[in-house]
Amino acid sequence: MGELILDRLILRFGRRTVVEDFSLKVADGELVSILGPSGVGKTSILKAVAGLLQPAGGKILLDGRPLIGTAPEKRPAVMVFQKPLLFPFLNVEQNIAFGLRMRRLADSKIRRDIASIMELTRLTGLGRRRIHELSGGQQQRVSLARALVVKPAVLLLDEPLSNLDADLRQQMRDLIHKIQARTRITTLFVTHDQAEALAISHRVALLLEGRLRQVGSPRELFHRPADPEVARFFGGTNFLEGRFEKGALHTQVGVFPLPGFNGNGHRLTATIRPEDIVIRERGPYDLEGRVVRTRFEGMATRVWVQSGNTLLVVLTPDSRLTPGQRVRMHLPPEKIHVFPPPPDERRA
Amino acid sequence: MTEERRPIPLKRLPRTGAVRPLALLAPALIVVLVLFGGGLILGLPQSLGYLPAAGMSKISLKHFQRVLFDPDFFSSLGLTLYVAGVSTLIAAALSLLAAMALVESPRWLLFIFQIPLTVPHLVIAIAMAFLLAPSGMVARLFQNLGWISGPGDFPLLINDPFCIGILLTYVWKEIPFMTLMILSALKNSGMEMLDVGRTLNAGPWQRFRYILLPILLPSLGAAGLIVFAYTFGAFEVPYLLGQTYPMSLPVWAYRNYSDVDLAARPEGIAIGIVIAVGVTGCIIASQRLARGQKRRGTVF
Ligand SMILES: Nc1ncnc2c1ncn2[C@@H]1O[C@H](COP(=O)(O)OP(=O)(O)OP(=O)(O)O)[C@@H](O)[C@H]1O
Ligand SMILES: [Mg+2]
Repeated sequence: MGELILDRLILRFGRRTVVEDFSLKVADGELVSILGPSGVGKTSILKAVAGLLQPAGGKILLDGRPLIGTAPEKRPAVMVFQKPLLFPFLNVEQNIAFGLRMRRLADSKIRRDIASIMELTRLTGLGRRRIHELSGGQQQRVSLARALVVKPAVLLLDEPLSNLDADLRQQMRDLIHKIQARTRITTLFVTHDQAEALAISHRVALLLEGRLRQVGSPRELFHRPADPEVARFFGGTNFLEGRFEKGALHTQVGVFPLPGFNGNGHRLTATIRPEDIVIRERGPYDLEGRVVRTRFEGMATRVWVQSGNTLLVVLTPDSRLTPGQRVRMHLPPEKIHVFPPPPDERRA
Repeated sequence: MTEERRPIPLKRLPRTGAVRPLALLAPALIVVLVLFGGGLILGLPQSLGYLPAAGMSKISLKHFQRVLFDPDFFSSLGLTLYVAGVSTLIAAALSLLAAMALVESPRWLLFIFQIPLTVPHLVIAIAMAFLLAPSGMVARLFQNLGWISGPGDFPLLINDPFCIGILLTYVWKEIPFMTLMILSALKNSGMEMLDVGRTLNAGPWQRFRYILLPILLPSLGAAGLIVFAYTFGAFEVPYLLGQTYPMSLPVWAYRNYSDVDLAARPEGIAIGIVIAVGVTGCIIASQRLARGQKRRGTVF
């Protein structure tokens, strides 16, 4: 079992508050990513769960039992750090066995557990290697195996892939995904890479400026961001501001029908993802503009289009557009996402 | 990327294990090699009995023999080993504690802690004499406080059979050196590995035994061997604070060498050479340890 609840957690270093009022519920067997830019306090949150950092306030509950006050070595949570931090004086096998030895388990059991975990993490055959004889990816897998083998109730992964190159990162991400699906260990996965978080998690918790901004499924965060900053974090840069009247959003650049939305007279901010804007030569269109800049990115080309006072970013498969060119754009109404208005800015 | 946020003044230390230890050992080496023998090259013939000025020109091992079979040699050797061993062990144990206490301390504290490194042994020995002699400052303080009635009540800490004064001098002087040597090992992922151990359910004793000791033992051993070598060959502290019998090997060597009887000189040099061999052995062993460590990537 391993239902983890963080309740209004406050983390401080000296007088500086790093994390404020952080609440998150992780169901048993769930993999939740804590996503956020560098320095927002992601590592600190994991350390608080592991017990390596004393929270200034709030509660941490595991299956209903409070963890704060329990020494880290008594908590059923294991943390895997950004660096592999393998013990250089032990070989691969001994490193993996470390947690089991600390529990004084029988040798035969330790041998069996190690063998199965080494198979799971694709380390079979490397047991006798010294640490400095391993590649970076292998080291990180040993570090993962060392944590998994003790079968923790909660696994805390602190950017375990960030020191690997792109290819290896992908492989390790898939491996972690697979292992988590198989073992169903409740997992908190910290990362600053949105693609990683979206690909691996059941749910994502986005942390900005020390506060939890949105929790939800990867699709929710990506397609229905709670506010413009969340949208921006996932690469959404197109914002339309205006007033909602008679089934449409009236902005300075144009009128966009929003079927299924009601609330006449409200000032609204809406967003549309760059890849959802369609540049077309024929047929109905919503906006016209002039190409300001283009950037070829391989599978798509990023195009900056000035339309009135609004600069829109469009991701299009068409790589032939050039600056100065006039283009027509279609904004599919179903792709326009309206941010829920903040309570204090609502107008009657 | 996470920025490094711990204060790490140790970056300024020479990165290799060789430079600093050699610099610190220089006085001992000079005393042993130059003062007692005018260098091995000059000393060796004399220790073999070649000293034409004294009318001796027959080369033999008899001076070494005479030294090695002298019962005083073993009491001297024992005393020297006792002083070097005990002071090294005490300093090592205290350095472990000091390193753990200092690993997260601010820079200025570390700076203060390094001050003893710059004070010569001789100065500390003289200070110890002033402090701990039966008529010294501590004894007088105790007398003024009424804890003892006179100098005679004060325990013998200088020129005493247990070499308390000598041990105190060495311990005080060597702790900062050893602490700095192991601090660098501790800062180099050591603390993080302790955290890893904690989340893997290692209790305090287990963390000490299965993480801290294995991480620190190589540098502690390397530092310990250097300190041991130094104290084994150093002359000034036991000369000032030691008792008259038995003498430590370096003092004995010096006594023989400066004896009015020129015939004693080859024996003095022979002792010096025995000391030099011991010191050199320790340094080689220390370098081995440090190098092994570097290969494993834990230290320096
Ligand atoms: N031991 C410490 N003492 C003082 N401040 C600290 C300490 N550890 C972290 N901080 C500060 O707390 C904030 C959050 O740190 P934390 O390591 O949790 O961030 P993070 O989100 O994990 O960042 P990154 O993605 O770079 O790893 C940072 O601003 C950092 O400078
Ligand atoms: Mg971090």
